[in-house]
Amino acid sequence: MTTLQARGARTGAPPSTAPTRPARRAGWGGLLYIAPSLLVLTFIAIIPIVFSGYLSLTRYDVLSDPVFTGLDNYTRLLNDPNFWGALRTTAIYTLIAVPLQMIIPMILAEFLARVAGPRFSSIVRSVLFVPVVASLILVGTVWQYMLAPDSGIFNVMLKAMGLSSVNFLGNPQLALICVALVSVWKNIGYFLVLFYAGVQDIPVEQYEAARVDGAGGFKQFLHITLPGLKPVTLLCTILATIWSFQVFDLVYSMTGGGPGGATTTIVMGIYEAGFKSFQMGYASAIAMVLLVIVLIVSIVQRLAFREEH
Amino acid sequence: MGRLGKWAMYAVVALLVGMAVLPFALMVITAIQATTRLEFTIRPELLTFDNFVRLFTTNNFGSALLTSSIVVVIAVVLNNIVSSLAAFGFAFKPFPGSKAVFWVYLATIMVPAQVTMIPMFILFRELGILGGHLSLALPVINAFGVFLIRQFMASIPPSLLEAARIDGASDLRIFLSIVVPAIKPVLVALTVFTFLTTWNDFLWPLISLQDGTRSTVTLAVSQLKGNFLTQYGMVMAGTTIAFLVPFIVYAVLQRQFVEGVTASGVKG
Repeated sequence: MTTLQARGARTGAPPSTAPTRPARRAGWGGLLYIAPSLLVLTFIAIIPIVFSGYLSLTRYDVLSDPVFTGLDNYTRLLNDPNFWGALRTTAIYTLIAVPLQMIIPMILAEFLARVAGPRFSSIVRSVLFVPVVASLILVGTVWQYMLAPDSGIFNVMLKAMGLSSVNFLGNPQLALICVALVSVWKNIGYFLVLFYAGVQDIPVEQYEAARVDGAGGFKQFLHITLPGLKPVTLLCTILATIWSFQVFDLVYSMTGGGPGGATTTIVMGIYEAGFKSFQMGYASAIAMVLLVIVLIVSIVQRLAFREEH
Repeated sequence: MGRLGKWAMYAVVALLVGMAVLPFALMVITAIQATTRLEFTIRPELLTFDNFVRLFTTNNFGSALLTSSIVVVIAVVLNNIVSSLAAFGFAFKPFPGSKAVFWVYLATIMVPAQVTMIPMFILFRELGILGGHLSLALPVINAFGVFLIRQFMASIPPSLLEAARIDGASDLRIFLSIVVPAIKPVLVALTVFTFLTTWNDFLWPLISLQDGTRSTVTLAVSQLKGNFLTQYGMVMAGTTIAFLVPFIVYAVLQRQFVEGVTASGVKG
């Protein structure tokens, strides 16, 4: 909402409620236009969210009717080492992936927008965006092959250098790091686009003034670019964190959750509980935990950034 | 930035660009050769389209392509119509409580798809539409489109609509002949966004197409890998096809893709 109003103010148009003119009585006509979308949203969002909350309080195997069991699923969650493992795995994955997905595109955006030529910059942005349009399943499949123990390109190169080969996805710690790095590889282009737009929104005069004061490139980045990018950084961190907590496709195609469950993430846990062992109630409870985490992440990051302003 | 630093940065950027392209290059090189291992070189004597032919003749890739295409079209058309109508309603035809409804819309954007997929699976199964084209397309639609378009509508001067109203134009007429042309750029961006999400969707097809009668392209690719563990050429041919469609669309509509992404930046 704040964005809407800010935008209205900038363009000189009245804020978001503008179309309500006192002369026109508010009628119900608008409902007619919203109805189709409301109908769809009711079926794919509103009912499912409420239903999910209810299911999490039941035992349900899809075949027979759900049995209400109160908070049983949640107490089971608290005592389930697999759940805690999945939570830990997802957290580590997020801690590896998110900072890299912020830092690399940020520095890159500054370089492309302020140092490199416009043509070079546009080509680089176009190429780095290619992984963004590819599906995670194909990305995971290709990278799994590239990281394969014998014929994978990285091991072929290691061997060519006279080093011993590494079983990247067969080693529990390495596998998690590899999956996280592939997600970084995939998302750099996406966040670059957002950060690049952010850098361009910073007035050139600020940099010129800093130059006059004798600030070098690094100091300009630190004192002008970084503060100027704050709103974009907030958005990108929230997006990247939420995406990390939702990771599934990459894990599914690169490691299948292995080795030994080392890459089993929260959503992988939901999938396995719900669609492998048909414990829909238990899976829904995990899903509710995911929902709470995602909401908390959004709210906390928003508050943290507001504080600094 | 010093000259040394500058050249170091150019080197890093070149490395990143190389890394961005490498997997796709390997994918294509492997796909077009008769080999059962990953190839890093092109050997002319091995060049073949057999992998692609076999995908279509024995692995039903044609029907997966068709399914994905139909689902993409349904999702794009529905999302554009439903979202632009709703955005118009919220922006120009407020009704008692419309603000509250809009907040509910915003709230649903924050809910991860993985939370709604189990109840949706059960709901769609009860309704008897699970696995159908519509059921694959529906979950792609969300309140984000409404929010995006409504945001864009703020730049349409209300006086324009008022003038049309005085001339006796109905609301629907105003929507179709004034609002829709004005919001065309955002509709294109939403189309691109919806297209990409639908084409690349994996988890929902995976759980909702469990009986195996129908498959989307992403699902077909993952099944291919399961069935032909070491048939690198075949699997890479599958990923090449899965990649080609969004890649071509991206190459043609680059600006709109980037706009779609930047537009997601107004979410906050």
